Amino acid sequence: MIVGELKSNYASDEFIWDNIYKKLFLIGCIIFLILLPFFSNDYVILLASRMLIILTAVVGVNVVMGYAGQMSLGHAAFIAIGAYVTCIFYNLTEGFIPLGIMPLISIPLSMLLAALAGLIVGLPSLRVKGIYLAVATLSANFIIIFIIEQPFLSQWTGGLVGIDSPNPNLFGWDMDTKREKYWLVMPIAVFLLLFAQNLFQTKIGRAFIAIRDSDYSAEILGISLYNYKLLSFAISAAYCGAAGALWAYFFARILPEQFELLLSLQLVVALIVGGLGRTMGPVLGVILVLLVPELIKMVFGMIPSDGFSIEKIRAPLQEITFGVLIIGFILFEPLGLVAITDRLFRFLNRWPFAQ
Amino acid sequence: MTITRRKVLKGSSAVLLSSLAAPHILKAQATEYVFGASLPMTGPYATAGQLVAPVFKMFEVLTNQSGGIKGTPIRTFVEDSGYVPQNALANYQRAKAKEKNMVHYFGDSTGFMKLVAPELKGENAILMGSTSFSSDLANPSNNPYQYLAGPTYQDQFDIILQAIKAEGGKKVAFIYANNEFGRDPLEHGRKKAKELGIEVVLEESTKAQGADIPTHVTKLAQSNAEYCILQGYVTGVWPQLIGGARKFGLPTKFMGTFWGMEKLVADKVTAQAGPFLDGYSGVMHYKYFYDRDQNSRYETYAAFAKKAFAGTPLENYLPTWALAGLCSLEMAKLAIEKTIEGGKDLSPDNLSASLGNIKNWDSGGFFGSNVDVVDNKIGVGRIYTYSAETKLFTPSSEWLAV
Repeated sequence: MIVGELKSNYASDEFIWDNIYKKLFLIGCIIFLILLPFFSNDYVILLASRMLIILTAVVGVNVVMGYAGQMSLGHAAFIAIGAYVTCIFYNLTEGFIPLGIMPLISIPLSMLLAALAGLIVGLPSLRVKGIYLAVATLSANFIIIFIIEQPFLSQWTGGLVGIDSPNPNLFGWDMDTKREKYWLVMPIAVFLLLFAQNLFQTKIGRAFIAIRDSDYSAEILGISLYNYKLLSFAISAAYCGAAGALWAYFFARILPEQFELLLSLQLVVALIVGGLGRTMGPVLGVILVLLVPELIKMVFGMIPSDGFSIEKIRAPLQEITFGVLIIGFILFEPLGLVAITDRLFRFLNRWPFAQ
Repeated sequence: MTITRRKVLKGSSAVLLSSLAAPHILKAQATEYVFGASLPMTGPYATAGQLVAPVFKMFEVLTNQSGGIKGTPIRTFVEDSGYVPQNALANYQRAKAKEKNMVHYFGDSTGFMKLVAPELKGENAILMGSTSFSSDLANPSNNPYQYLAGPTYQDQFDIILQAIKAEGGKKVAFIYANNEFGRDPLEHGRKKAKELGIEVVLEESTKAQGADIPTHVTKLAQSNAEYCILQGYVTGVWPQLIGGARKFGLPTKFMGTFWGMEKLVADKVTAQAGPFLDGYSGVMHYKYFYDRDQNSRYETYAAFAKKAFAGTPLENYLPTWALAGLCSLEMAKLAIEKTIEGGKDLSPDNLSASLGNIKNWDSGGFFGSNVDVVDNKIGVGRIYTYSAETKLFTPSSEWLAV
């Protein structure tokens, strides 16, 4: 009877996918994402790309919250940095740098600058923990938006009214439709997700986990809290910077109010509902937070309408249904949606001996 | 009959040609025209969205009762955006994928209109009206498919500042919601005020729902502004800001633009918090619904609303927000009719061209006189002032063209 995974050497312990069903699931997902544009309409492409962009950011939040155990409510600020750096860099260097390699420079640059901002925002983590740290990081949202909106910066940031963003161009391929932009967003999002999965098989990832489980014990073991806490913020912010860059490339315009506290809360909600400290947590959380409201909208849209009374209650009912779903998932599966898929994969792997 | 090689070639060529032409034939033979919309049914502007949504169905029923558009029935649908531009964009893309006969879309915010503008090309283009009066949208060369059912916010600021100048005003404050809607006319307002010799003594941004208002009242008091123009609010700030200013003893005269000029809100605030809105004024480009001529389009709406909206706030009065939606739909309908009359297909380009050619339009009561569409907008407006006693906004200027 199969009761668990037998790992007889260190190499097997380092395998990312220890289960054939998980492997098949990953391969299936990638094939699905590759084929998606060939059978989907623009709406599905928009939704999928939006989910992949937010997924990249939630994976970043997962690094700092799920793995390193540091609370943060300021990650929308890093997305804003990524988005604005991409636009500003494009506007400043257009004509000097070939358009075809612009994304190859602007996306890493966005990640780098967001990471630097992450180091600064992460400084309070050296002194405070838990909700105190959450409150400290909260300020990042307001500071970044305040800076972006300053009139003296508006020639670069667009100030209060936002800024048009460029179309990505890869080696002469001008991606001016959502369908084309998907081919920029999808590979980067998948790569960054897999990179995060791999990160936690490394020394750095294990240090993060040690800090999350007990920072005092980790320090006694020789892990520098100073280095690793700040590193977790930097990596996390870099992910959000990448999400911001993709956001700027995907949507035709960016507005400062798109990156306010609500977005930070959305990222945290997606992570908690999906499952903290797990690779699939952000994926499932983003599906619930972004896809489910659209599905609810479609279901409620099927209710026959007289146009006068149903229209008024349809939208609030959709919101209430979504709220009840979130509460339900947290109540009945506090470990997140990932715990449900865990049970499913465990069942498949051990069938017919386990249920 | 003998089947020869020539017959097969002729037959297959005919089938091929007819299949190539089929999409155009199908397009010309639409069984209905669909008008989609995203409105803020939840979120900070839900009050407005909830009042505007029912009139879309009213437009559908009335249009179909009068034979549809050139004999083709219409259908409308409304979806919630929560006033989030990305949600409205998703709504639009979903509608575009689902509704093959959609000829018009109504957007719910400046943010959405700007976000979607670069997307409106090729197969994704559509004629698009909105709740927004953003100045950037009235630009046919950049946004050929987007139009305004009235003047831009900049035009509205122009009208207000001219009224202030005419009253001898010297100092003005701008208080605005901290979003795209609130910020739209600020830069233009600064320039126009300077041009008219009016000093802008305060620019203050607040949350759309108007949090921390006492702080703003204090700043307003310190600025000694004679006039204060509010921009970007629907219901949020009147009680706290204007009520607070009156309690503070400030003589500042408050003025608003389109979305801050609704009688329903003014009446409710007056009933709940007292008559401090007496004398509040601002720019409005539609005639209020109670100011209607016999046999006008407003009368048709009123007769319908009396029955269909009995027991709701819309029974005896359609708010200006609903009038904006209706005016936008009437303009689209007119553009469709003109396009069909011209023997052209209902492509967004043809519809946009027809809309731009609307001249000397008898709107049936929306505006004070016949109007033209210029630069995808209708540049007229008038100053109205609220009386807490009569609970009516009454004209305090002639119709002004900008």
